[in-house]
Amino acid sequence: MHVTAGTAETLDYRRSPLPVRDELVAAHRRAWTRLAAPGEWWTGAVRVAIATETRAATNCALCKDRRAALSPYAVTGTHTAATSLPEVLVEVIHRVRTDTGRLTRQVYDEALAGGLSDAEYVETIGVMATVIAIDTFCDAMGMPRHALLAPVPGEPRRRRPTGAKEVLAWVPTVAPEDVAEAEAGMYDGLAAVNIHRALSLVPAEVEGFFDLDAVQYLPDALLRDFGTEYRALTHAQIEFLAARVSAINQCFY
Amino acid sequence: MADGGVASGAALTAYADAFFTDGSGFAAARERLQREVGEEASVDAAAVLAIFNAVVRIADATGIPLEETKARMSVDIRDALGLEGR
Repeated sequence: MHVTAGTAETLDYRRSPLPVRDELVAAHRRAWTRLAAPGEWWTGAVRVAIATETRAATNCALCKDRRAALSPYAVTGTHTAATSLPEVLVEVIHRVRTDTGRLTRQVYDEALAGGLSDAEYVETIGVMATVIAIDTFCDAMGMPRHALLAPVPGEPRRRRPTGAKEVLAWVPTVAPEDVAEAEAGMYDGLAAVNIHRALSLVPAEVEGFFDLDAVQYLPDALLRDFGTEYRALTHAQIEFLAARVSAINQCFY
Repeated sequence: MADGGVASGAALTAYADAFFTDGSGFAAARERLQREVGEEASVDAAAVLAIFNAVVRIADATGIPLEETKARMSVDIRDALGLEGR
């Protein structure tokens, strides 16, 4: 596992071929710090292992064979894992990382049947999304990926939102009207549309991921402020590129 | 290549396509985009491409549905792209 004992302050873009906005550097440092710290359901060690496995999945021979097959279920075998994470977790990570366009509810149901809790599943997706967002940025910039930080010791907090319900998605989610005091800030600055609710079974993942999203994309409140441009790319260019990326990934959302 | 009526749309399309489908052509696509939109916007493009590469996984892995209003507004686009909800 490629990790460094440094702090998130060691994450920088000095090797970037182009200057990177200060707010992007700061957001990536916050995300990197959060990634290695104990989460709601996983320890820091497991979270860093999930990030490591997320990176390794793209080199997995089984995943490559499955992607080439008409159905991912037509190919059986063992994943080329980079960690000692349980097989059920490795399966989720590899499927989500390498074949997202063909995910069905079966992946989630099998994860639960294999012993993952719904909240562990959601936190896993949150960790994966964070590391993918930052790794992909580095890849697109043409610079090396950041070393993962050494895990921060400590126990997960294990707080489940009392208002979570199985009504919207495969995973339980929290509607804005069901947000309790303990997770009151979860949707601050967000319209609480479905994509914001997706990770709401683990509120820290909503806050963490959309902190990153606001800087890499746009803050929610500015999305439809077409009278002002807040980035060097225009609103139209941003949405055009976002739509293209979603289409390539076969994402219907 | 279609630009969608967006400034430098063809360069943005080539940039995304090259990143996801043809790694060998990505450096050239990135240079083209940088020439057309400039350094700062080129960094923004990397940030947008990257965050949506993550967002799609959140959406797909949680089974979150498209809002009905968005679904109605995007019927033509989804048909054209061959996308449909499950």
